[in-house]
Amino acid sequence: MRTLMFLLLAAVLGPAHAGATLDRVKRTGVVTNVLLDSYPPFEFLGPDNQLAGFDVDVARAFAARIGAKLQLQTPSWETIVGGHWQGRWDICICSMTRTAERERTLSFPVQYYASPAVITVHRDEQRIKSAADLSGKRVGVGNGSTYENYLNRALVLDGRAVVAYPFHDVVAIPGDETINFRNLALGPGVRLDAIVSSLATATASAASLPALKVLSTPLYAERSSVATEKGDPQWDALVARTFEALKTDGTLARISRKWLGMDAIIDGP
Amino acid sequence: MALDAEVRAAAGRPVSAPRVTRKSHFRIQVWATWTVLALLLAWGCRALQLDFGYVAQKLPFLLGLRLGPDGFIQGAVLTLFVTAVSMVCALGIAMITAAGRLSDNPVAFAFATFYASLFRGTPLLVQVLIIYLALPQIGVVLGGLTSGLIALSLNYGAYLAETIRSGMMAIPLGQREAAMALSLPRWLILWKVTGPQALRLIIPPAGALFVSMLKDSALVSILGLWELNFLAQSYARSSFRYMEMLLAAALIYWALSIVFEIVQFRLERRFGRGVAVVGRR
Repeated sequence: MRTLMFLLLAAVLGPAHAGATLDRVKRTGVVTNVLLDSYPPFEFLGPDNQLAGFDVDVARAFAARIGAKLQLQTPSWETIVGGHWQGRWDICICSMTRTAERERTLSFPVQYYASPAVITVHRDEQRIKSAADLSGKRVGVGNGSTYENYLNRALVLDGRAVVAYPFHDVVAIPGDETINFRNLALGPGVRLDAIVSSLATATASAASLPALKVLSTPLYAERSSVATEKGDPQWDALVARTFEALKTDGTLARISRKWLGMDAIIDGP
Repeated sequence: MALDAEVRAAAGRPVSAPRVTRKSHFRIQVWATWTVLALLLAWGCRALQLDFGYVAQKLPFLLGLRLGPDGFIQGAVLTLFVTAVSMVCALGIAMITAAGRLSDNPVAFAFATFYASLFRGTPLLVQVLIIYLALPQIGVVLGGLTSGLIALSLNYGAYLAETIRSGMMAIPLGQREAAMALSLPRWLILWKVTGPQALRLIIPPAGALFVSMLKDSALVSILGLWELNFLAQSYARSSFRYMEMLLAAALIYWALSIVFEIVQFRLERRFGRGVAVVGRR
């Protein structure tokens, strides 16, 4: 009885899960972008209590271009990459990398920027000079990130595995990336020995935490895509078309220079 | 205290002056100790070299005096909203469950015990995640707020049911039998005889549960609800001012808890007014 009531309640209160994304966006005039609340400089809670950053501006430009009102939601990263959105969110302009694993539950209509993976260490770190030195070290990575897969030697990008894993037995310590950077700044080996992350977040963190040092040699090239829920090719086509237009007219390049200090925008699906 | 004095006066015993003085001495000493401890805490916080300017800048958001970017309530106001709604729902669920637990009907008893065991025997965090993440896989998609409210209500309903049950069972059978001998109807016995006596026993542990629910409401931050803990952590991460933001959040939770405790104390006094307890202050 209680279960039945619960399901009834759920049916009444829950948003509709059936129906294609495009229909929903057209009907409501609102596009819901899902992202993180702390992944500077891509997305973070700004001084005025508003979400700000590269992805937020790209999402604004996208919503304006398709003529919809933008809504932002900030659940935890695992909920986003896990897929099965069931209509909760329409799109993820949230710096997601296309991987074989994620392609099983999500669709990736278009790529938008590239930022290579790099190692960040403490300024006083003597032992770690390259990826080979990560063996046996405690390395911080974002929860459910591609960097976690990389350290576990299981990263498949664009249909092929990353070939070079010049380390063994790395202790990957998943957590919130901004907290990881904070922990690394406590000193070499205090809580973490190193961090593997994207060059953009590493540079932004090193700018606010002078104790950190970003190693210049990239580990592998990584391209971020826009993700949508599987099963709505028309919505995916509209997303791809809109992003091509935003790239062509230089909107994305301008946003990139504003937040990343460089033009990291790339072409291609 | 005044209440005890009344009770004693009613009982025909003189209220002795020295006793009253001793009691007021006790109160003064309690307040003095509290003040010293609070000052020590404040001094400790000062030694941390906190950036009070940043706290002042973020305080209106943390308290929820302004709406979030999506026009919804946020901060402490959202925390209070989640707690209040879950409290009412939990109370309803708990009363039904307690009735089932005390019922002679085996099915009702089984339902009540099964539910209470399930929700008391699993972590609240797991329940929150099951309702938010796992239910969509069978087609039930709940929003973050709804998921959080349901999880808190079901979890605390189970605990509260046990509290209510124990309160009811603590009333001596003679009370009920005496009322029945006066041929009072069943509802009137519950309303006027057993209910008020049970409430006196139920209120202190129930109050403690609600204070704890206020703090457990922080768990719904993982569903992307911008409540007090979510904002504090988010600001802390973006500014690296963890000490300031977490202490500010802790103090706000503490202040809210004190308000809850005062309400609980008032209720306790009201329902305990027929019983003079030695040592009550």
